[in-house]
Amino acid sequence: MLRALRLLAIAPLLATAGWETVVAPPALHFPRDHGAHPAFRIEWWYVTGRLTEPGGRWYGFQLTFFRQGLDPGPSVPGESTLRARQVLAAHLAVGDVSSGRTRLAERVRRVAGGLAGASTGDLDLFLENWTMRRTPEGTIVIAASDRGTATDLRLELTPAKPLVLHGEGGLSPKGPAPGTASVYLSWTRLDVRGTLAIDGRAVQAQGHAWFDHEWGTSQLGFDVAGWDWFGLRLADGRDVMLYRLRREDGSAASESAGTLVEPDGSLRHLTAADFKLEAKTWWTSPRTGARYPATFHVTVPLAGLDAEVRPLIPDSELDARGSTGTVYWEGPVAVAGSAPGEGYAELTGYAASMAGRF
Amino acid sequence: MAGTFFPQRFASVWDRVLIVDVALAQELFGKVGRLDRIELVPRPGVDEARLAAAARLLVPPDVTVEPPQARAATASRMVRALQFNLTALSGVSLFVGAVLVATTLATSVVQRRGVLALARSLGASRGQIARSLLAEAVAIGALGGALGVAGGVLGARAALASVRSTVAAVVRGVPATEIQLPLWLAAGGLLVGVGVSFLAAILPLAEAVRTPPVQGLVGERPAFLRRPSRRRAAAVASAFAVLAVALARAPAWDDLPVAALLASMALLGVLLTIVSPVLDALARHAAAPFARAAEGTQIRLAIAALAAGRRRASWGAGAVGVAVALAVAIGTMVHSFRATVIDWTNQGMRADVWIRPLAATTGVQVGRLDPEVVQVAERLFGKDVIDPFHTATAYVGTQPITLAGGEFAVVARRGGVTFRDGRDSRTVFAAALEHRAAVVGEPFATRFGVREGDTITLHAADGTLTRKVEAVFYDYSNQQGMVVIDRHDFLRHYPDDGPRELALFLPAGVDPAAARDRLLAALGGRFLVEALLNRELRAEVVAIFDRTFAITRALQAVAAAVAVLAVLTVLFALLGERRRDLALLRALGGTRLQVGGVVAAQAALLGVTGACGGLAVGLAIGFVLVKVVNVQSFGWTLRFLPPWPSLAVTAALVTVACLLAGLAPALAAARMHPAEALREEG
Repeated sequence: MLRALRLLAIAPLLATAGWETVVAPPALHFPRDHGAHPAFRIEWWYVTGRLTEPGGRWYGFQLTFFRQGLDPGPSVPGESTLRARQVLAAHLAVGDVSSGRTRLAERVRRVAGGLAGASTGDLDLFLENWTMRRTPEGTIVIAASDRGTATDLRLELTPAKPLVLHGEGGLSPKGPAPGTASVYLSWTRLDVRGTLAIDGRAVQAQGHAWFDHEWGTSQLGFDVAGWDWFGLRLADGRDVMLYRLRREDGSAASESAGTLVEPDGSLRHLTAADFKLEAKTWWTSPRTGARYPATFHVTVPLAGLDAEVRPLIPDSELDARGSTGTVYWEGPVAVAGSAPGEGYAELTGYAASMAGRF
Repeated sequence: MAGTFFPQRFASVWDRVLIVDVALAQELFGKVGRLDRIELVPRPGVDEARLAAAARLLVPPDVTVEPPQARAATASRMVRALQFNLTALSGVSLFVGAVLVATTLATSVVQRRGVLALARSLGASRGQIARSLLAEAVAIGALGGALGVAGGVLGARAALASVRSTVAAVVRGVPATEIQLPLWLAAGGLLVGVGVSFLAAILPLAEAVRTPPVQGLVGERPAFLRRPSRRRAAAVASAFAVLAVALARAPAWDDLPVAALLASMALLGVLLTIVSPVLDALARHAAAPFARAAEGTQIRLAIAALAAGRRRASWGAGAVGVAVALAVAIGTMVHSFRATVIDWTNQGMRADVWIRPLAATTGVQVGRLDPEVVQVAERLFGKDVIDPFHTATAYVGTQPITLAGGEFAVVARRGGVTFRDGRDSRTVFAAALEHRAAVVGEPFATRFGVREGDTITLHAADGTLTRKVEAVFYDYSNQQGMVVIDRHDFLRHYPDDGPRELALFLPAGVDPAAARDRLLAALGGRFLVEALLNRELRAEVVAIFDRTFAITRALQAVAAAVAVLAVLTVLFALLGERRRDLALLRALGGTRLQVGGVVAAQAALLGVTGACGGLAVGLAIGFVLVKVVNVQSFGWTLRFLPPWPSLAVTAALVTVACLLAGLAPALAAARMHPAEALREEG
């Protein structure tokens, strides 16, 4: 979903002139559309998941690649080989549920000079030695490590359900104006295995993950301050994606939406009226002073879902001012109530409004 | 604009920096595919040497890998030498200030001798007297320190404004650099003021405390002030002189002329030691010719009065002497420097037109000329009148130096460079061309201990370069050291990416101004260059020189003002002490004119003694500055050229100023009512 869209800090506010916009359900061709769409200004590939090591310890992990277009025009003869038309940023976050620690590593590089690149043929991204690739067999392989935080992630992710096209055939409106929309695709449930290290301690682990791929140019309505996003995998085999776009005054925008994915992969689109999110408790960051909702009461009547969504690591605030210029909360959650489960939540716009950022 | 930044350091440089993306910079400057520099920031704990070794394997062989300190070290050497010399000079000013404070306090003690004696006789302890005098010294020091800090800030602002106006005249929109006064510096200034006046208070304090109250009350001459031992003074002065010679011969300490500046202080010690016996001798012998003449009465009386208050008088003459010495030394150093540089430009700058990249008048030359500029000049004037001058950085060991390439064939025909061994420059360049030898600048020779005929090895871009040194030329333009080889030799080791400057030696009869216009017209405004005629460049050299030494000239003025102030305070002190004698003189029939004349004569004698002593010692210090301090700081040999006429004028002016300063106390003495003065004392 909208997860992220955090405009890269190094890119000034850019006009949409020259960029394509998403106005109609796209004609999608795979594997090409797993790759990058440089005609659009913003794009990201987002993997979040929960891993368990044989001893029983739990971990949350996140690896995201953001692509920010700088210049939609073609290259000019005689220009510098370091002249970039887009930049890639990436966030690598690993949280240890038992100790409550989260480590974030971030990077940003221009797509030039062999520093970073995004294939337009299939999912094939690299940012220096951080990579996210899709094999011909359909497995997604991710690898990223950071010396400073002694974090390392080497995982193989195999989709357990078909690809989900959110909204109308992948068209996901985010604001009332035409073109204020994105193409939004997900694998809501993937089987994961591989190795993970946090603070220098490496473990073999396995679990489940969620994959999002989204692109567009002008995605948010001008008065949206932030969003609350949930990707939940229920124990009964269903998956639920929900996002609420928050206006500056705290109310939910009518473009807020969701998707219910049945165990067999069949979809049900959810509109703003189909679900309710209610913050029950709050958590205040000791570093930024930002106040985030902690526990949510989530109801989706037509799915018979009435549950409490609770963070597994209360302090999952990620300070990414060194790459995308944003501070947000993103971490693993547990679902308890009518249908138990687990998943990831992303809460943005609490440290600073996202309005006008893209 | 993505944002503004506020650099904490090097504000004056960063004030004019605009940062753009590397790709845009490459395109703007026509350097696509090239980088000037890559900065590696090691992780904490990473060994810099190993990182450098690893980086060396990654870059092409002609790329230099060096730790950042190496570059900063060379840049800071000259700044450090300049700073040290300025600090040392301000230290001497402080010394003069201390002498002045001592005289002022002495004045104050003398003027209140009666009061202090009364206080003692009424039961005040020595400690109480000492405390009150110390409090006075501290107050003077604090006030002086505060005034000094305020004056320093105003002075810095004025100095900056004058520098900026010349820069701003050329580069529009150069922003103002703020004068910053850190709290510690202000506090330090105050502390120095208080400390100096505290130290200066010790001698007058000792006198005040030791004078028995009875003596103070009767106003007799202090009995404990014995005649100064001339033998002891001579021994101390000789010791100072020997010390000064030894220190002046000592080598530089960590590239700084510490010993040589201490030698200057020792020379001031000589001055202060001999002033007292000299005044004494004057008192005895100078009075002799006037002994019989009736008109000589004032002079005899003045000399007698000076001899009686000789300690005070010697302080006064000492202060005058130190101030004059400072002024003379600085004047001699600046004049020697200036005359040498003007000589050098007259000798060496023989080209008719110089072409160089357009630069701000900050004295910092940046950029190179486009090779096309050279081609245009060659087409217009022919190859044999053009001397393109290339520069690059090479290394002796790990020390960076300037390696330059000049057209030896052209310079050999035109000549003009002054060599240390006195050989004609045509001979030298012809020989250098024939043997593929190098000529090196004097700072280089001094820095690396190189002599004519030695062989030097440099690390150039493409490996080592071994050349014989044909001759050493005088060089006042460069301090890190310069080696010049023939241009064609130079271009075998470095790509021709344009010379730093281009000199044009026009045939006789060709008007340089017209030639310059032709060249600029041919370049058609496509290149940012400036072309200077011979006299323009020489005027610019002198202008840069004078700007650089403006601050030293200001110090000279301060020294002269201090001399006058010293005389004024000393005379008032003597007047206070000799009130009774002067009153007696009046009572015995002396006219007001005669009494005033006695005081004025004292002033003149003080002035003459101080000025002569200061002149002699100032010349000695000037010699040390020129021959030792400059060589050790900058590697420049200068000729010792005292500005005789202006030195004579300075000495005369100081004497006259002292005489004028003596008018106020003389007037006060003349107005004194004899009966009142005598009654008070009785």
